[in-house]
Amino acid sequence: MAALGSAKAALQVTEVLETILSRCLGPEGRQVLCTKPTGEVLISRSGGCLLEALHLEHPIARMVVACVSSHLRRTGDGAKTFIILLCHLLRGLHTVIDKEQDSLISKNIQTHRRHWKNCCQWKFISQALLTFQTQILDYIMDHYLSKHFLTIFSSSTEERTLCRSSLELLLEAYFCGRVGRNNHYFISQLMCNYFFKCMACESGFEEVFDLVDDYFVELNVGVTGLPVSDSRIIAGLVLHRDFSVYCPADGDIRIVIVTETIQPLFSASASEFILNSEAQFQTSQFWIMEKTKAIVKHLQSQNVKLLLSSVKQPDLVTYYAGLNGISVVECLSPEEVSLIQRVMGLSPFILPQASSQYEICNTASVKFCKPLTLRSKRYVHLGLISTCSFVPHCIVLCGPVQGLVEQHEGALHGAFKMLRQLFKDLDLSYMIQTSDQNHTSSPLTYKDSRESNPLPEIVNGLIQRPYQGTVVKNKGNLAKTQTYLKVYSNLVVPSVELETCIPCSTPKVTPTDTYQTNETLRCLAPTKTRTIDDNEPFIESNSANSTAENTGIEISSENLQVTKIAGKGNMLPVREKSLEMCTSQSYCCSTLPAGCVLPVGGNFEILLHYYLLNYTRKCQQSEESVVSMIIANALLGIPQVLYKSKKGKYSFPQIYIRTLHALQTSQPIVSSQKGLESVAGKYQLLTSVLQCLTKILTIDLVINIRRQPREMYDQDSDEEV
Amino acid sequence: MSRLEAKKPSLCKSEPLTSEKVRATLCVLKGILTSSYGPSGRLKQVHNGLGGCVCTTSQSSALLSNLPVTHPILKILTTSTKNHVSCFSDCGLFTAILCCNLIENVQRTGLTPTTVIKLNQHLLRLCTNYLKSESCGCRIPVDFSSPQTLLCLVRSIVTSKPACMLTREETDHISALVLKAFLLTIPENTKDRLILGKSIIVPLKGHRVLDSTVFPGILIEVSEVQLMKILPIKKSNAFKVALFCASLSGDLSDTGEGTMVVSSGVSLENAVLEQLLNLGRQLVSDHVDLVMCQKVLHPSLKQFLSMHQVIAIDRVGVALMEPLSKVTGTQPIGSLGSISPSSYGSVKDLCPAKFGFKHFLHLIPNEATICSLLLCNRNDTAWDELKLTCQTALHVLQLTIKEPCVLLGGGCTETHLAAYIRHKTCNEPESILRDDGCTQTELQLLTEAFCRALESVAGSLEHDGGEVLTDMKYGHCWSSQAESPSVVNWPDWLSRCGCGLCNSQEELHWSFLKATQHPIAPQTCLPHEATGSSNNLTLDCFTAKLSGLQVAVETANLILDLSYVIEDKN
Repeated sequence: MAALGSAKAALQVTEVLETILSRCLGPEGRQVLCTKPTGEVLISRSGGCLLEALHLEHPIARMVVACVSSHLRRTGDGAKTFIILLCHLLRGLHTVIDKEQDSLISKNIQTHRRHWKNCCQWKFISQALLTFQTQILDYIMDHYLSKHFLTIFSSSTEERTLCRSSLELLLEAYFCGRVGRNNHYFISQLMCNYFFKCMACESGFEEVFDLVDDYFVELNVGVTGLPVSDSRIIAGLVLHRDFSVYCPADGDIRIVIVTETIQPLFSASASEFILNSEAQFQTSQFWIMEKTKAIVKHLQSQNVKLLLSSVKQPDLVTYYAGLNGISVVECLSPEEVSLIQRVMGLSPFILPQASSQYEICNTASVKFCKPLTLRSKRYVHLGLISTCSFVPHCIVLCGPVQGLVEQHEGALHGAFKMLRQLFKDLDLSYMIQTSDQNHTSSPLTYKDSRESNPLPEIVNGLIQRPYQGTVVKNKGNLAKTQTYLKVYSNLVVPSVELETCIPCSTPKVTPTDTYQTNETLRCLAPTKTRTIDDNEPFIESNSANSTAENTGIEISSENLQVTKIAGKGNMLPVREKSLEMCTSQSYCCSTLPAGCVLPVGGNFEILLHYYLLNYTRKCQQSEESVVSMIIANALLGIPQVLYKSKKGKYSFPQIYIRTLHALQTSQPIVSSQKGLESVAGKYQLLTSVLQCLTKILTIDLVINIRRQPREMYDQDSDEEV
Repeated sequence: MSRLEAKKPSLCKSEPLTSEKVRATLCVLKGILTSSYGPSGRLKQVHNGLGGCVCTTSQSSALLSNLPVTHPILKILTTSTKNHVSCFSDCGLFTAILCCNLIENVQRTGLTPTTVIKLNQHLLRLCTNYLKSESCGCRIPVDFSSPQTLLCLVRSIVTSKPACMLTREETDHISALVLKAFLLTIPENTKDRLILGKSIIVPLKGHRVLDSTVFPGILIEVSEVQLMKILPIKKSNAFKVALFCASLSGDLSDTGEGTMVVSSGVSLENAVLEQLLNLGRQLVSDHVDLVMCQKVLHPSLKQFLSMHQVIAIDRVGVALMEPLSKVTGTQPIGSLGSISPSSYGSVKDLCPAKFGFKHFLHLIPNEATICSLLLCNRNDTAWDELKLTCQTALHVLQLTIKEPCVLLGGGCTETHLAAYIRHKTCNEPESILRDDGCTQTELQLLTEAFCRALESVAGSLEHDGGEVLTDMKYGHCWSSQAESPSVVNWPDWLSRCGCGLCNSQEELHWSFLKATQHPIAPQTCLPHEATGSSNNLTLDCFTAKLSGLQVAVETANLILDLSYVIEDKN
């Protein structure tokens, strides 16, 4: 059996999925209960989980789910948005196609031929989508959107330090969409605390993310039957098993890891042990015993107090270990062993083959080693001393039912994935079309020149970050700032005033303008007083870039007190853009620096929508403009869902109009919600959706076969036979 | 070759709570739970039509583990209760009933889940903060210098399980025994951390409850024949003990992954037996009096030991290993070769004991925190219930040591808490409404639903048709006998409140619990004010109830938040 028109089917399928998933989206989203055939109950709001639990049968649906899960594997976020966006895109495509078809219908084509004709059309569209994704999207991201981006780091200098308050905002927004409404604040605080406790130094956070993401299962303990609010962070590592032998120890506790039994066995694998007499058997047993005793004694002489073993040790070993005051933990999982190895830099103890020659012994110290009881189950609690930038801590997650604990575990793991992704640079590359040459050349050259002559950040010392952006590019601006500073020196300046006084220049002059900062600052409100005593006169030593600025400005500020907005320092506009002009004049590479964020609540979507619309107006090629138009409109679907329950001033049309107005008049956009989201995540989501859509559109026929799937033969093995 | 089978698609239902069927099942479950609640609760007989024994119970742990539920929502509710019970042993029914009540009441208000969850969370925080604060009017500190409070606590637990079928005298006896057993597990001299010992419950069914006793040390059950062999035990002031965790049956231990070739004429069995007898010789020469083995002893070794007047007991089982090593101070031996003298332990005395038809060997320790509670009851079901009750009581006592305070029982905590919340939200609504966009009306509606849910839990204690009232001063719970006249002089009809702290002869005003409650600021009624009343109080475990309250509200929030149920039909 075959079904025609996969785009139509895909629309139907995604519409069904959309109705389910849109109810779980955003801060107002609700929970879904999934039962497993084993009788277990899972509570979830994560799109990936729900799609998997539905066990969809339709081939297109299965393809969509596969696309979503491959996207999730990479980014750990965005499954629900994926489906909603896909649905809106398909809907948009259909309305466009229907319109065209209405005009065609008079030509009276046979239905079959029309189908194939449609398919050709789909093919064109999918190609156009591909071009869009590879070229236009990156171009727009780089040229228009990037000026709105904020960063999560507290300074834009070389040394990247994470800012706690912006991380909190980012995580809170993430957990809003992932866990129950009553828990998201608690869980995001827990994660934030965890992260900062695990971080040994400010700069090594990437390693922490990698480690926690890789060993997430080993680093958390689930406890059922307790309220969620009993969840906590424990210093050290908790192993999910009990001691085989426990000997309390203090002081310098050294540990060793073994991966095989300490007691020698009669015969190793692939060898033969020939027994000729009973006496021989007894002597060999005696030898085994003596040898075991000697090894354990040796360990004791090395001050080893804890033996970690990845295999079960014979009774004899545990007995001798107990006699020598060595605690034993057996049956560690390979992941636990590798985690301990990675954290402590400890390699497993290799059993010496020759007798009495074991002076080299890999040991490491732990701070403590004690049993830990959580809900009448015993665990081993180790105070590892870390040799890397990760300070081991464990999360104890409590919840009334297992399903809820699992949800929180999944959400936390996803959050680490998301952060890991956020702190990677994202490469953008695009072609600059000749038709757009006029348009693009000016910002390009501008950037280029900026790169060669970086502006010394002079205001830096005086007033911190937010004004860095206002290190001015034209004289008028500078003068204004400067006068303003002069006026207010020796004064306590309320920040609101400060901001309103920030000069407004026209965006044409400075493409990396500062409005965005100011605006976000204003909506991220709590104020904090901060004193900066920097009495150095600051001198602008500007190089050739602009002659007008060369005059030099002196502002002697004595005890200048600036009321500074908390969380402000980090909301910098992202300005460093390593833009390179490649050999070909029209080929352009740039990167989206790590840590780019935007306020939540559909800001990314509305911005992209706005710039895409602008782009289509300039665009000559019809296909491109149609596709861009469809995407621009589909993007609005997400904020529509997010603001569905809001009324009045916060309803979607109002917000949309306000934002567009702000963009047109180059005023700061006022966001109604605090919270941040990763730009890289959004960008990757959009590309994944477009790829999925291209895949759907290129299919023209679904052939349904009812037969047991054949076994796949490996081609290589065939050759061998 | 793996078999591939297509998975069936799942079933997805939206807004599960609005379905009539779910409401009806929830209602049935609530009916079962409320009717079992409290000392006068009705018993439930659960029996499986396909076989197995009949269980007569009114305890949540037994009831819920025997009652299979199919609907996922009910499953969430029962699992969360069961998980709570496995953590705290007590207050399972309280948790489940409160959760049912909350779901039912909140649905009636018709507020959106977002508002409900937000406000529920605030009210819960009010409750927990109040219960933890010093000014809490329904919390009593535990005085460890006198056993009175602890005894009341244990008695309240024992009386609240009617399926144990105990008379008043038996209740007192069991309560005293449980407390004694608990006190025996507390070490005499502790350094920095208190490590409690263990009470082992030894079953003896078919005997009078009053025959139950507590012994320090361990009772090991042995057959009569075995005991006859052991007897007479030679007297000495201390017995040397060896405890083996390795098998002494003569089997060959792990020989590795390779092959082992045995020449003909070589008997490994003999070799191993020779080794075992060598071990026996060493034990005898070390003057060991008692040999115990977790696994099996070889008959020849047993024979050898008994010839040398060494008592040998095997198949002790892994459960007894830890208490045994604690009582005797031995280190479980895992070697068949030389034994370090430091692994031996000792007991003060060793004597045979016979209770009913069972024979025991009683190990009396020098000083240890292990005791045996020999528990008797007339029949199997009643014994099972009594055992669960004793375990609950012992666990509750442990929890009370950690958090030395108790809550008022008999429904008084619930009504008092409800009065407090009403008062709080009525007088200071700003503190709750400040940060999120809820209106005062919504808060009023939800407070009423929340307080009603708490009060209905207190009301479920009454099963005999009496009226449940609350007083306007302390906010305690009172229940009158059935067929009381409608307009009465209440002080004559009521004697004491649910927990037994307040006396009706005080100048109090009452109102029916079902009627509309006016917000009052409940006062604290202290035990020393009401002299003599502190001997017979009904008390609840603080930790268990606090956590039960939190779990109930969290579970209710979770269930109210569900918008879809996806059932996997594979």
